[in-house]
Amino acid sequence: MQKSIRIACANFRRAKGQTVAIILLVLLGAMMLNLWLMLSTDYKQNFERCHDRLNGEHVTLALNGDGEELRDFLSGVLEEDERTAQYCMDDGFFMVGSFAYHGGEVNTEFMILDKETALGRPVGAIELVEEGEEESGVYLPMLYSSDGRISVGETIEITIGNQTKSYLVCGFLNSAMAGSHNCSMSALVFTKDQYEELKKQDSLLPSTLVSVRIHDKTESQEFEADFKEAVSARYPEIQTQSNSYKLVSSSRYISQMICSGIMSAMAFLTTLIALVVIASNVVHYIQENMKNLGALKAVGYESRQIIGALLFQFSSIALVAALIGIGLSYGLFPAINVMMISQTGIPYDVRFLPLPFFLTLFCSVGTVSLTVGIAAWRIRKIEPITALREGIRTHSFRKNHAPLDKTGLPLHLALSLKTTFSGVKQNVTMCITMLVLSLIITFSGLMVENVIVDMDPFINMVVGEMADSCINIKTEAEEEFLQRMRADGRVEKIYLYHTENAVHVGGIGLMATMTEDFADVNNQAVCIEGRYPKYDNEIVIAVKYARERNLHIGDEIVMAAGGKEMKYLICGYTQISNNLGRDCMFTRSGYERMGSIQNASYYINLAEDVDIEAFQEEVGEWMGERMNTAVNIQEVIKGTGSVYVSLMRVIVVAILILSGAIVLFVLYLLVRGMLSRKKREYGILKALGFTTGQLILQTALSFMPAVTLSMIVGLVLSIQVINPLTALFLRGIGIVKCTFQVPVGFTAAAGAALCLFAFLIASLLSLKIRKITPKELLTGE
Amino acid sequence: MKEGLLKTENLSKSFSNGGTLQHVLKNIDLELYRGDFTVIMGASGAGKSTLLYALSGMDTPTLGTITFGNEVLSGRSSDGLAVFRRRHCGFVFQQIYLIDGMSVMDNVLAAGLLVNRNKKALLKRARELFFKVDIPEETWGKFPAQLSGGEAQRVGIVRALINSPEILFADEPTGALNSKTGLDVLDTLTAFHEQGQSVVMVTHDMRSARRGNRILYLKDGTVLGECNLGPYVHGSEERHRKLRSFLAEMGW
Repeated sequence: MQKSIRIACANFRRAKGQTVAIILLVLLGAMMLNLWLMLSTDYKQNFERCHDRLNGEHVTLALNGDGEELRDFLSGVLEEDERTAQYCMDDGFFMVGSFAYHGGEVNTEFMILDKETALGRPVGAIELVEEGEEESGVYLPMLYSSDGRISVGETIEITIGNQTKSYLVCGFLNSAMAGSHNCSMSALVFTKDQYEELKKQDSLLPSTLVSVRIHDKTESQEFEADFKEAVSARYPEIQTQSNSYKLVSSSRYISQMICSGIMSAMAFLTTLIALVVIASNVVHYIQENMKNLGALKAVGYESRQIIGALLFQFSSIALVAALIGIGLSYGLFPAINVMMISQTGIPYDVRFLPLPFFLTLFCSVGTVSLTVGIAAWRIRKIEPITALREGIRTHSFRKNHAPLDKTGLPLHLALSLKTTFSGVKQNVTMCITMLVLSLIITFSGLMVENVIVDMDPFINMVVGEMADSCINIKTEAEEEFLQRMRADGRVEKIYLYHTENAVHVGGIGLMATMTEDFADVNNQAVCIEGRYPKYDNEIVIAVKYARERNLHIGDEIVMAAGGKEMKYLICGYTQISNNLGRDCMFTRSGYERMGSIQNASYYINLAEDVDIEAFQEEVGEWMGERMNTAVNIQEVIKGTGSVYVSLMRVIVVAILILSGAIVLFVLYLLVRGMLSRKKREYGILKALGFTTGQLILQTALSFMPAVTLSMIVGLVLSIQVINPLTALFLRGIGIVKCTFQVPVGFTAAAGAALCLFAFLIASLLSLKIRKITPKELLTGE
Repeated sequence: MKEGLLKTENLSKSFSNGGTLQHVLKNIDLELYRGDFTVIMGASGAGKSTLLYALSGMDTPTLGTITFGNEVLSGRSSDGLAVFRRRHCGFVFQQIYLIDGMSVMDNVLAAGLLVNRNKKALLKRARELFFKVDIPEETWGKFPAQLSGGEAQRVGIVRALINSPEILFADEPTGALNSKTGLDVLDTLTAFHEQGQSVVMVTHDMRSARRGNRILYLKDGTVLGECNLGPYVHGSEERHRKLRSFLAEMGW
């Protein structure tokens, strides 16, 4: 062991720069691995912990209605169901509302409670995470306070129903099932006085909030469907909104899923590059030190001691790098946590996590040791005498590449090509690195084009349908409303796009979207296979749900709404992540075979220069009580989408910086190896009259065939596979097929920039050639 | 009247050795002439190789000037000296120093194409030189490791002469060869000198030194003396005696 340590120490001393570069590569891999493990193991568990602490409900149902009779009925249903473990019912208001947030608008179904009720609920308790001294106002979900977007003491305008009023923000709350606009409903807690004021508002109907805990939380969606169906059968006119544990636990972690997916890919790819570089380094070490290895063997060192020294050397490097990487990941995690909280809305305390720590250490040290062991295995075959006599054999004499008497290439290009062909390991390392980076660049390009620069493709995929305004009216006013809208020159298009609840009998509750004619909808890409319903007995269902339940186009399923069950033929699959793959679509008349609708949402496309807010206000004025809500869709998308845009911007910048760093470290190791290997050759060429600049150019150019070709091949391949790969990352939110536009121009420019960067870095690293003088060659220095 | 080629004035070179300054060349005033076969001799450590590196632009002097024609070499950057070397000098090394990864022809053309882009003319000259040094065509595509020591050194001479340099510098060109192949190499150098090639050679071998027409003897960093042997005559006893007596006088 001592002998191995002695050899390893000598190697460390000889190759300080190489050690630092390998440490940096392993460190980056370990950092991302630990971040990924923390995000994927503990971060999501945080929801469970929050849910348990608050005795969170597994199913929440909000109904527009109250009274003893309704409550008795609900109690009866819940008590009869053996799955029910605990429940509670509270008074409140359930209404669509909105407020300004992050440069846009939050528009969601709000569950409005007074402070005393909210804090005292036995099931689904709400906790205050921040509270100021204000005595009258509103408490918002803490999601909106993250990153300092809304602060305590600030005055915000909240629109509830058709009334807008200013409120002081008294503090922020945490609720497991209603703490975000991604939960189907979002809690708003008012102080007693403000709640009493709201009660006076005519447009607000008293509502009941039912919170249920069940024995087996994995049945939450089925329970939700059955409960809703029972309510709808008895009270078809009552509007309901619900959510389930399964839906909320996924929807609150969309960012975490995306981020952890990207992190896992980056950790894997960076570690792969580090391992390729380490393997290449070990092979170079053996070549360069063939005589020394022969000498060591000649004086009695065994192969296992020499291999042991290399294992000790590299596993120590990996251990140190992994420890620093893990330390850095803890330094970075608070910043990631802030970004995540802006989407999850659940407080998370960063703390030491032993499992990711040990897994990261084990993976980093284990993979490095395995790689070194495999690469160093050839030491066993080295015969001491042969090694001492032959030393390094740098050329195979198989072929004289780019012969100068025959090639038409300029001299320096031909000489650099010779170097390229003589360095197979260098080319393999560079190719793997650039192939990996081309995939990363393509992904960045995809995100820049489809999320950062123009959010529409992302929103189209996630949200489904977009327009300028959505006006929800009572159906009795539909005819007059439509007549007036169609006569209005500002309205370019108006069509029904209304969502109700429906239940797949034998399955779970689905969000049922209906329209008169699907040819009218703006986003025709929602239906990804088959076609939209044309006839009353047709339905399209979410592809994620169809796969989970093994449902196919052509199958017949039974749906229930408003107390009626009907058979429908599946004619296509849809893909929207809005409800995490719990959607279906009918024609209006198709849906009305089961249930009628009391309210109808109309999507409106307005002429370009029309002020959406003013238009909605005007409609509200003449519609009066017959209009329920008006949503400025553009503002909502701006508000909620900006969270994803910010997140993606950070991810893309981090990815590009990381790509540059990887190129830098890999090239450092390769150029350093090349300079050491070719020192004699550079000396000879300098003696013959080659200038430093010419040799630097030759060296940098020798990397370019591998860099450029692998980048081109990598980009072409990546462009083909990037959409399916992205779909894989977004599987959790119901996306199975991505049709993002790949920005070929951006991707090609980024690829070219990375190649140029590689050339510049190789040139800069080759500056060391300046120090090689022909005199050293002659004096043997 | 001989035409001057390379001239030094007060040429000095010092090295720092563990804190003490070691003066290897001391105020050397020297002129080398076109068409001469100048041999630099001296005991080990006399500074003969250092003088060769300085004269050939492989190293820079500490003090003094080196002039080539009207060009002052001292003070030039390393790239400036590289350009001087490629345009005016050829080198034959003791360790030969062919590039392992290049074929024989490529080793020669790599040096040639650096100066002359006319590949056709260059190939013609390379072929002529190969034939002159007796390197057959089947060897041109071989790699250095596949050559004998003598063959490799003759390839080295072809590489040194491919650009028709004004001076050919040779540093112990037979030092790594056996006596038979060493003799072949000396014959080759002599033959090129007889065709007008200026040669400057460092050696400590009297048999090699006999090939020169002008012998410089270095001792303790200064030119202690010089001897003119006149044109080389194969097997001339008188020439041998004259050189031996000069070297004895110098304390050899």
